[in-house]
Amino acid sequence: MVQIVISSAGAGGLAEWVLMELQGEIEARYSTGLAGNLLGDLHYTTEGIPVLIVGHHILYGKIIHLEKPFAVLVKHTPGDQDCDELGRETGTRYLVTALIKNKILFKTRPKPIITNVPKKV
Amino acid sequence: MEEDYEWELRGVEDDFGRQFAAELEVLAELEGTPTLSPSRAPQPTVGRPQLTFEEAIAGGDATTHPSPAGSPGKSEGRASKRPVDADFQRDGLLPPTPKVKRPRLEVVKRLNFTPEEMEEPPLPDSPPRDITPPPSPEIPTGLWGDGPSDAGADGALTPASPAARNPVRRRPPVLEDYVNVTSTRGDRAFLVLRGDPTGTGVQSPLLDIRWRGRSQLDLLGVSFASLKEQVDSERRQQRLKEAQWLSDTLHSLGTEEEEAQPSGAPEEEPVDGQDASQQCLWVDEFAPRHYTELLSDDFTNRCLLKWLKLWDPVVFGHERPARKPRPSAEPARAGKEAAASAKWKSHEQLVEEMLEAELDPSQRPRQKVALLCGPPGLGKTTLAHVIARHAGYSVVEMNASDDRSPEAFRTRIEAATQMESVLGAGGRPNCLVIDEIDGAPTAAINVLLGVLNRRGPQEAEPRGPAAPSGGGRRGRAEAGLLTRPIICICNDQFAPSLRQLKQQAFLLHFPPTLPSRLVQRLQEISLRQGVRADPGALAALCEKTDNDIRACINTLQFLHRRGRRELSVRDVQATRVGLKDQRKGLFSVWQEVFQLPRDQRRRVGQDLALPAHMLLLGPGDAGSLTSASQRFYHVLHVATSAGEHEKVVQGLFDNFLRLRLRDSSLGAVCSALDWLAFDDLLAQAAHHGQSFQLLRYLPFLPVAFHVLFARSHVPRISFPSSQQEAQNRISQTRNLIQTLVSGMAPATRSRAAPQALVLDALCLLLDILAPKLRPVSTQLYGAREKQQLASLVGTMLAYSLTYRQERTPDGQYVYRLEPNVEDVCRFPELPARKPLTYQAKQLIAREIEVEKMRRAEAVSRAGNGPQADRSPAGPEGPPGGSGERDGRRPALRNHEQRLEHIMRAVREEQPERDFFGRVVVRSAAALRAEDAGLEKDSAEWRIGTAVGRSEVWFRFNEGVSNAVRRTLYVRDLL
Repeated sequence: MVQIVISSAGAGGLAEWVLMELQGEIEARYSTGLAGNLLGDLHYTTEGIPVLIVGHHILYGKIIHLEKPFAVLVKHTPGDQDCDELGRETGTRYLVTALIKNKILFKTRPKPIITNVPKKV
Repeated sequence: MEEDYEWELRGVEDDFGRQFAAELEVLAELEGTPTLSPSRAPQPTVGRPQLTFEEAIAGGDATTHPSPAGSPGKSEGRASKRPVDADFQRDGLLPPTPKVKRPRLEVVKRLNFTPEEMEEPPLPDSPPRDITPPPSPEIPTGLWGDGPSDAGADGALTPASPAARNPVRRRPPVLEDYVNVTSTRGDRAFLVLRGDPTGTGVQSPLLDIRWRGRSQLDLLGVSFASLKEQVDSERRQQRLKEAQWLSDTLHSLGTEEEEAQPSGAPEEEPVDGQDASQQCLWVDEFAPRHYTELLSDDFTNRCLLKWLKLWDPVVFGHERPARKPRPSAEPARAGKEAAASAKWKSHEQLVEEMLEAELDPSQRPRQKVALLCGPPGLGKTTLAHVIARHAGYSVVEMNASDDRSPEAFRTRIEAATQMESVLGAGGRPNCLVIDEIDGAPTAAINVLLGVLNRRGPQEAEPRGPAAPSGGGRRGRAEAGLLTRPIICICNDQFAPSLRQLKQQAFLLHFPPTLPSRLVQRLQEISLRQGVRADPGALAALCEKTDNDIRACINTLQFLHRRGRRELSVRDVQATRVGLKDQRKGLFSVWQEVFQLPRDQRRRVGQDLALPAHMLLLGPGDAGSLTSASQRFYHVLHVATSAGEHEKVVQGLFDNFLRLRLRDSSLGAVCSALDWLAFDDLLAQAAHHGQSFQLLRYLPFLPVAFHVLFARSHVPRISFPSSQQEAQNRISQTRNLIQTLVSGMAPATRSRAAPQALVLDALCLLLDILAPKLRPVSTQLYGAREKQQLASLVGTMLAYSLTYRQERTPDGQYVYRLEPNVEDVCRFPELPARKPLTYQAKQLIAREIEVEKMRRAEAVSRAGNGPQADRSPAGPEGPPGGSGERDGRRPALRNHEQRLEHIMRAVREEQPERDFFGRVVVRSAAALRAEDAGLEKDSAEWRIGTAVGRSEVWFRFNEGVSNAVRRTLYVRDLL
């Protein structure tokens, strides 16, 4: 049986992350890849509805409480430097860095943002 | 006519004398010559024959010699004056010569009433009026007045012989009494006063005439009655003489005369034959006076007569059927003869039918005017007169000498067609004969047309068969209706002014007179005139004059008057008189040049005869003239008289290569071209350098062509148009080159002088402009092809050439070069180079357009200033831009990026650019307005800019609800 050691780093509270689910794909405009690029802006309306602006799209989503929360684990494989301060050799460890209890689901069709609308039409 | 005139003058003069006799006498008394009435002022010079002043001056001090009294005209003139002298002396009107001691008698020379003016009316030698057979009722007075009076004047012009005894001096004679005479020009001469050698007191009839004994002033000096008496007696004398002479001739001529005489007018001939022949033209004398005597073609005669008869219903009021029996037997017989002899041609039948056609509603023939056309001298005028008189009309003639301004024309026409002469002519209706109408101005002919078409609308009505329509309107309109026939005569029926008239006229062509008939007539004439002429000579004469009756008879008379009593072929050939100075048409000139004379065999004896030109050159080697030289001179004459040398030469140039050339070496063509070049040189020298004496060599070109190319078959000659075409092409091409050069880019233009361009550049340029292009889209071109196309476009732009779509007449579309320099540098007969395809041309045209736009844009951008240089990075800069942005704010992490930053970044963006990347320069006002405008507005705009330019974008997956579902194994996690 595999024993999985799960520990939480911070004693106080874990950071709570939010899972985002998009119906669609995020693509890079240029062929340089997504890395290092700003995805967009996430805002909340006064009613608490999340709004995501990606490119010239605006997406309205909703917050869904996950029945089974996720934990974000960071895997630590044992290395030579990775020794416990206690000196004992530890196996692979997982460090829970965050919990995900909610997710934001954007499943509606995105709306385009038209920047220069003629004022008098 | 002239008699009347003279009478009038006399009357005036008499009045003058009567009115002022008293005053004149007083004046005379004051001057100390009491016995003289002023009208006798020159009287002191009596006894000194007075010359006309010019003669006096010319003669100087020399005594004028008696003029050799050789010509009959002169002797007649003197004869006519002698009796006057006698008459005068008989009357005893001679006033005493004044005894003047002082020789200084000033005689102001009065206007010299030259005798020819005074003596005309009673010309004794003019033929008696009633005897001269007038060719028409109208003409005779005129002709009679013209012809003979000249002869009379000739005789009278020379001063009478007594003038010989008068010395006219330049300076006053020392010993004798003298009179000085001053002319109006101030020249002064002196006449010696002499005693009267003959005792008559009068020597010069001229002087006698000048004054009269009574106080009455007279133009003639003698009363007209006495003159007339004198003339009558003389005429009687002369006629007696002539009658005797004629009877002698008749006897000598013997028997052959009778059968030649036509039945027409034998009774007049013996009486006036020789008499009239002295003064009257034979042409007039022997002009036909009856229908049967007409020489012209029977058919033409009959047609005209029939046409004239068509007028009978409206002019004479006959019914039309009644017209048939009315013509006398002669035309009917002539008609029958013609019908029997000749078969009807279709044209003739046509004319006949036209004549048989019905009259129009107003009972007039369809064609209101007959137009006779034909070369001169065929007797057109005579025919018109004879036929008109034959049909019972009195002829009113208008000819070229009349005033032909439209107004005068209208007056004459209306007078002739609507009036009727009361006196004379026996109340016959008029028939207007307009002679030489082709010389009339178009306006005048339009007047005539207007007269013809009067009441046009009514005639345009459907013509019921002689339907008498409504009376009232008709009667009113009939007043201006043309109810008299009009016959027009012209030489050139193709005169432009006649174009309208021809459509409405009854056109009758005059065929040339038959030589046989003409010869016969000439024979009659020569018989009657006592000229011995063999038919061969007469035939030669006919041929020489182209069957011109008038010229024949005139020549005959001329020879007769020169004292020839016999006429031989040689005479005829050597005479120049018969030659008509008629311009031949251009086509006939060309034909003469290119065609050998047809009837060589008929020109018997021609080798011996001298051509007229040779006579001028001298009779040296006349005998050696061959028919070739005959032709030479003939063509030379034709070419000289043709006039339009340029046209003639052009015609020769255009046509000589189309002839059948015999020599295969083309030597004739070469020399012909040499001649043409020579002709050009001559013409240039003559016209540019004003050395007009060279013009005399020009007519030799046709002669050379004749020698080189004349053949016996009939050449097909077309009117020369090559000159015109070449001119047109030259100007077209010039314009084209002009357009091309003016459209060129300056760099190209600096090396393209028009001539160099045409000769050197354009041909090759056309080859350059036709590269091989694959007929595919430019997108598919390889780099090399693209470059080729670009250079092609560049070249064409440099020469401002392009292709333009055109629609051909058959509906196809083609692309043509514009301007179309192919016309300039390509010979039309040569096969065309392989042209570009339609697609290729289309492609090139499009590329040219695009390139033009590009260049224009570049130019305008260059004009916009240096900041444009930065532009290229602008539009396509996002990656670089983002990198720059990243570099500028490295610290900013992804999740920290907020809208404000982005907005700030956007605010630092480049100035706004328009579609083409140009910086939009906003006016200050617009900027301020924008600044003052809503902040939100600008914020939104910035958001928009940021949003629109984000590097990441979202693509929505449709229809999938749970897109993110992936199988994940734990082992991947571990």
